[in-house]
Amino acid sequence: MSVNTWIIVAGDPAIGTLIDTARSLGGSVSVAVVGPREVADTVAAAGVDKVTWFGEPGSAPAEAYAVAVADAIAAAAPSLVLAANRASDRVLLGAAAASLQAPVLTGVKSVAADGDAVVVSCSTFGGIAEETVSVTGPLALLLEGGPVPAASTPVAVDEVPAVPLGITVVDSKPSSFEQVDLGAATRVIGIGRGLKTKDDLALVDALAASVKAEVACSRPVAEGLDWLGKDRYIGVSGAHISPDLYFAIGISGQLQHMVGVRGAKTIVAINTDANAPVFKEADYCLVGDLYALVPAITAALQ
Amino acid sequence: MKIVVAYKWASNPQDATVGAEGTVDWSRAKPGFSEYDPVAAELARRLADATGSEVIGLTVGTKRVDATLARKAALSRGFDRAVIVADDSLEGAGSTQLAAVLAAAVRHIGDVDVVITGDSSVDVGAKMVPTVLAGQLGWPAVAEVISITGDAGALRVERAIPTGTQVLEITGPVVLAASTDAAVARVPGMKDILAAGKKPVESLDLAALDVPAAAGTVTVTGTARPDLLARKGQMIDVTDPAAAAAELVAALRGAGAL
Repeated sequence: MSVNTWIIVAGDPAIGTLIDTARSLGGSVSVAVVGPREVADTVAAAGVDKVTWFGEPGSAPAEAYAVAVADAIAAAAPSLVLAANRASDRVLLGAAAASLQAPVLTGVKSVAADGDAVVVSCSTFGGIAEETVSVTGPLALLLEGGPVPAASTPVAVDEVPAVPLGITVVDSKPSSFEQVDLGAATRVIGIGRGLKTKDDLALVDALAASVKAEVACSRPVAEGLDWLGKDRYIGVSGAHISPDLYFAIGISGQLQHMVGVRGAKTIVAINTDANAPVFKEADYCLVGDLYALVPAITAALQ
Repeated sequence: MKIVVAYKWASNPQDATVGAEGTVDWSRAKPGFSEYDPVAAELARRLADATGSEVIGLTVGTKRVDATLARKAALSRGFDRAVIVADDSLEGAGSTQLAAVLAAAVRHIGDVDVVITGDSSVDVGAKMVPTVLAGQLGWPAVAEVISITGDAGALRVERAIPTGTQVLEITGPVVLAASTDAAVARVPGMKDILAAGKKPVESLDLAALDVPAAAGTVTVTGTARPDLLARKGQMIDVTDPAAAAAELVAALRGAGAL
């Protein structure tokens, strides 16, 4: 059996992984696009079979199209619906799953067709275990989006203007933090509560400059302390990264953080507590004061 | 205005043990009011106090979500009353099934203007239940919500997006998932816990609710422990930080990591 797939796009065409996953299952690949026309055009040139676009959104956010997207997908009755793990995309995926009464699986590691079933392996409960499930009937999956796919010969964009629900954007403010794509970084330095003040970020920035790394953090540093932007938080509900090199500095290494960096090729851990769980998952373990060690490592690299 | 907070009574995976074959043993993990749900309760209480509204705590799950301890823990969070659907057939229920039962309970409560949830549950953490719940109700959902003001039919909601923040005006009913740091939740005191025991609780019979059937079947065919990369675990002596740094840099260069 080939599995026909619908992909949902809520304004961001970075869906390379979704298209690859859908293609690997052998059926048709249709995309429901919410957002400006240029997003629909980008998706139409991404090697898919069909694109449905709901019209210029104006001041309506993607969430205002939840019912329109759910109705379009329910009418097509696909076996599989995919969306990228982003806030607005999750809203549209949830609407589609509800209209199909389809289960939603997250933390997906692999997807394969097996006769009439789709077999998915996924990590469960924040990464403490993995489960393989066999699903018959419609299924919704949340995946990491991947890159914007390369352009090929475009298909036509099927315009289905929809009336948005009653939500409008009346104001917006830019973030005070510079945005980062941690997933694309080959080296990452993660900091945790071992760093005493925000000013001490200068120490870490100096190390980052000398190893050409992006700076990231555990959850409390981005949420609550507000020292770094939320897109720099690594962990179960934040970024999941697989860099060549990861420094865990002043991070105890609780499961909720480590699950986000387990794909790193090499992990260096610096922590004053010899019993910190981070040392069980590190390649190089330095039990000591980051305020002495970080400047020393920066100096050693120069 | 009628405000519902959909909360979860759940255990932290940090406290669970995982067997050699990947089976999860929760017996030593104590369930509680899920990690981020106090933020949702706090936003709801503030909105209710500003508009003279009622806050109803709503949860669904196995029988344990209706235990006295669980009821009191929830009702001490500033709810005026609670609605609970406790049925052991919901053991292991997925996001879609839980959302379908929550939606049926919201319809049962009737005339609900807004459902507020936490960012994600402590055990599953998928952030999907609020979105599927909205889908079941035919409402929109908005996540990463920082603040909620206004009144029914004219809510003003500020939410975080990757490039900053947005203010939304919402005219109809909506499901709002609070960002993790939208508010600092007050810690219930003895007075709140004592008062919680006197607040009304309505237990709904799952069989009597109008819950749509799942469209297919989900069968678990295997479990496993996560396949972790082998780590070197090499200790570097830090007595002399400069020597430790030199040893680390040499080791990283030798391993091709720098």
